[in-house]
Formats: sequence, structure tokens, C-alpha cells
Amino acid sequence: MAPCLLDRIKKHPGAAIALQYCDPADGSVIRISYQQLTTAAQLKRQQISQHDQQNIALPYRQLTDFIVSLLAYDGICAALYLLPDQDTTAPAMPSVAGATAAEPPNIESSWYLATSGTTGTPKWIGHSLAQLTKTVTCKAASSQLCWGLVYQPFRFAGLQVVLQSLLSGASLIDATTGAIEQRLGVLLQGGVTALSATPSLWRQFLFSSKLTVLPLQQLTLGGEIADQSLISRLKQLFPQAQLRHIYASTEAGVGFAVSDGHAGFPRRYLEQGYYDLQLKVDAQQHLWLKGPAPFGPELAGRVDADGFLDTEDLVELTAERVLFLGRASGVINVGGNKVHPEQVEQVILQVPGVAACRVYGKSSSILGQLVVSQLVATPDTDTTDLVARVSQHCQQQLQRHQIPIKFQLMAALPLAGSGKQARTVE
Amino acid sequence: MTETNLHHQIKTCLQQVAQLANCQLTEPVTDDTVLLQSGLDSLGFAMLVAQLDEELGFDPFSEMEIAIYPRTFADFVGIYQQYLARHAGE
Repeated sequence: MAPCLLDRIKKHPGAAIALQYCDPADGSVIRISYQQLTTAAQLKRQQISQHDQQNIALPYRQLTDFIVSLLAYDGICAALYLLPDQDTTAPAMPSVAGATAAEPPNIESSWYLATSGTTGTPKWIGHSLAQLTKTVTCKAASSQLCWGLVYQPFRFAGLQVVLQSLLSGASLIDATTGAIEQRLGVLLQGGVTALSATPSLWRQFLFSSKLTVLPLQQLTLGGEIADQSLISRLKQLFPQAQLRHIYASTEAGVGFAVSDGHAGFPRRYLEQGYYDLQLKVDAQQHLWLKGPAPFGPELAGRVDADGFLDTEDLVELTAERVLFLGRASGVINVGGNKVHPEQVEQVILQVPGVAACRVYGKSSSILGQLVVSQLVATPDTDTTDLVARVSQHCQQQLQRHQIPIKFQLMAALPLAGSGKQARTVE
Repeated sequence: MTETNLHHQIKTCLQQVAQLANCQLTEPVTDDTVLLQSGLDSLGFAMLVAQLDEELGFDPFSEMEIAIYPRTFADFVGIYQQYLARHAGE
């Protein structure tokens, strides 16, 4: 069995700086060494009750405290639940049978992260530490890196950066909050040399001249489709740096990194695989993956007889590359935030006078995709203020990125060939 | 379309989109306004580019082989002027 997180970071020099952040109270810079982290985690371990050894919920309050908890509980508790932020309702945590006090405290913990389900209700997805650290690289030079943390660490994207930094013995700079320029200022002041963000956030950073002065050696793009023009621009700005874009299926807990400077991934992966991952594309252009371990029972409906999982990601094959097109289910990705069209449609249909509606994604050069809608009025409805009423209702019921940027009034909705409502990505 | 017209159209569009996107613009928006400090966030900016695509019939950012992003409002208008000339020549 793989060693726990705490055992894996004990090999780093104790004096090396693991975390750096600004104290929100007085703005002073606080530095935490690896030695301080391991000492705090060991203390915390001694306080764990037998009950907590089964399931432990980790609410996020502060970065150091959160990381110390991860170090303390991994390998001791059967399940770690990383609670999402307060405005999301945490789904009910299933109980996992855990270790008893008589057993040695060395078990393989499951890490649960809240993700959006098909109905828009968050659900827990379990991962092993091995799955979460699949794309972590621990080369000798990687301990010299200084990672910028630009996503909350209880989210998949943020957690990956935290684990990458901890396991490679690098430093981590907290830049999760504030306006873009302010966050770039924190990254610059902290001497960040490695940064991982969604393509949309990279574009935001590119609006500032501060990005170009960051001494970046490692650039990672993930969570959204990385397009060629963005990759080319970043390569132009940081010609010496290693640039990679990550494809990860959060649900499946598998992924891979592409670092050849081109969008998509090489077509040869379909024949040769990628390390221990096998890939295939079906007639409907869905990408299927098969990892070294079988997929969990919650994904059983999407696994074929050969053990491949339907990622439900649509791809296009060119002579050399496999390019990503979007989600087959029609889920819209607005700058890394997933929007379920059905959920938005339900809200629009609540407005009196709306007979039918269709919500779909429109491609955006800035945020990847934006939400747009078409609607049909019931007969006898005065349509003069219908769009205004729908818009107002959406403002009240939905988060900003979920609100359609356009409401188009139609005589009838277009139907797909199958007779089902069209959900194609435009 | 003249350069002045385009400049005016983009500014009007910016104000309309800011209202739609619930963004408080830091008025007055001038040529020197830094976009990241204009009050328009990434969603508002994406909406602005989408709206201009509808009005003008092109999106320069989706046509660039190497993505270049403007820093100020004048840089932003300049990109549209450059691509408008290109589209007019087609």
C-alpha cells in the first residue's frame, strides 16, 4: 500500500518553506516550514478519537489548518470529506466502515470531493490519494518550484496544486482571493514560478502586464478545453517554461497531461495508450478511458464490457490529434463553472407565459462557453415584456454564470434529428 | 464605419453589457482605463465580446492564431479597428 501523505512529505528538508500567505488581519507575510506542518499534523493525530477514524469532515477555514488536517487524517481515517464553501449545501456523507483502535493506523483513506451531479445537486465522489496525485511530478528540480494557489483547495483544481506542491517539496503561495491584479501582485511578491489555472483564468491574467514579469518555469492549464491560440501565446511569453494542459475526468479520477505545445492530445495515444491508461473513441465521438483499476460502482452504467468508461466528452479526430469539443450531455462550461441546461430551463419555465425553452452553450473566446436560450410563448401571451420578466426571474433564481446572456423569442424550438430537443454545442 | 463610430459603438455596448452583467463600471471609461480595473469582470467581458460579435459580425479573439489580450480600453478598441479593416477588405 502506498504510504500516507504525512509519511511522503517527511522526506523533505524540514526548514524548507511549505506555505506562504498574507495574514488577513495585518497583511504581514506568514511562512510555514515543512517541519512546522509535520509537527502540527502529528499533534493533531494524537487527538483523533476512535469515532473520527471512520469519517471526518474537513470544513475549510484557513489554508494551514486545512493542510495540517489533510496530513493528519490521511492514512488514519477511512474517509475524508472536503466540505465545499458555505453557499453550497454539503450532500449527506455516506458512512464508511473505518479502522478500529486496535488496528494499526495505516489505511488507504478515501478522499471525497463535492462535485456537481447531472441535476445540479452536488454529490460526493471518492478518490484515492494515488488517483488524485496521478499527474503530480516529483522530479529533482520540482522542489525548487514555488506554486501559486489560485483555486480553493477543497475543489479538485486547487487540491491538485496543494498535493503537487507538498509531494514535490515545493513552496505554495496562497492567491485564492481578490481581484485579478491583486492576485497577480501576490504571486509576483511571492516569487511564484509555477502556476496552474483554467484557460479562462489564464486569459484573465493575460489582460494584465504583470503576468509577463512572473518568472514562470511551469505552466499548467486544466478544467476546460485549452485552445491552440492561448497555448501559443503562453509559449511565446514563456519560451523556456514547461507548459502542459491536463485532461482529467473528475468523476473517474483519471487524467493525463499533454506538454507538446499543441491543443488536444496525440492520436497515437489511441493505439499506444498513455502510461497505464487506455483510450478509445466510439462512433458517437465519445472518448472512453480505461485505467489500471476498475471504476467504482457509482459509474457502472457508463462502463462497457471491456472495462472502459464513457467520459461523455466529445472529441474530433484529425490526422495527428484528438481535439476536445465539449460535453456530450450538453453541460455548459463557463470559465470552468459547469452549468446544467436542464436546471436553467426549469427556472425559465416557471415564468408565466413561457410554453417551452431551450438552453445551450455558445462558444466564447474569453470564457470557453456562455449560456444562451431560446423560448416560445404560450398562445395569447403578451410578449412585449416576456423577455424582461424571464431575465428578471433568472437574476433572482440563478447564479450569474448560469443566467443566459441572451433570450431569443421563437415561434417554435428546433428539434434534433432524433426528435429530442437539440442540445448541440454551437 | 469610421474609427470614431466604432469607438462610440464599443463604448455604448460596454455600458449596456455592464448593466446586464450587474457590473458597476468605474466611470468615466476613457482610453486609458485599464480593463481589469474597469469594473467589468470576466463574465461581463465575455458578454461584451459576444455582443460585439453579433453587432459587427466578427470576434477578433477567436480569429487570432496567437491570442493577444488588451490592457486598456484604447488597446481593446484598437484590436477591433484592426480586424474591422481586415473584414472590410474581404
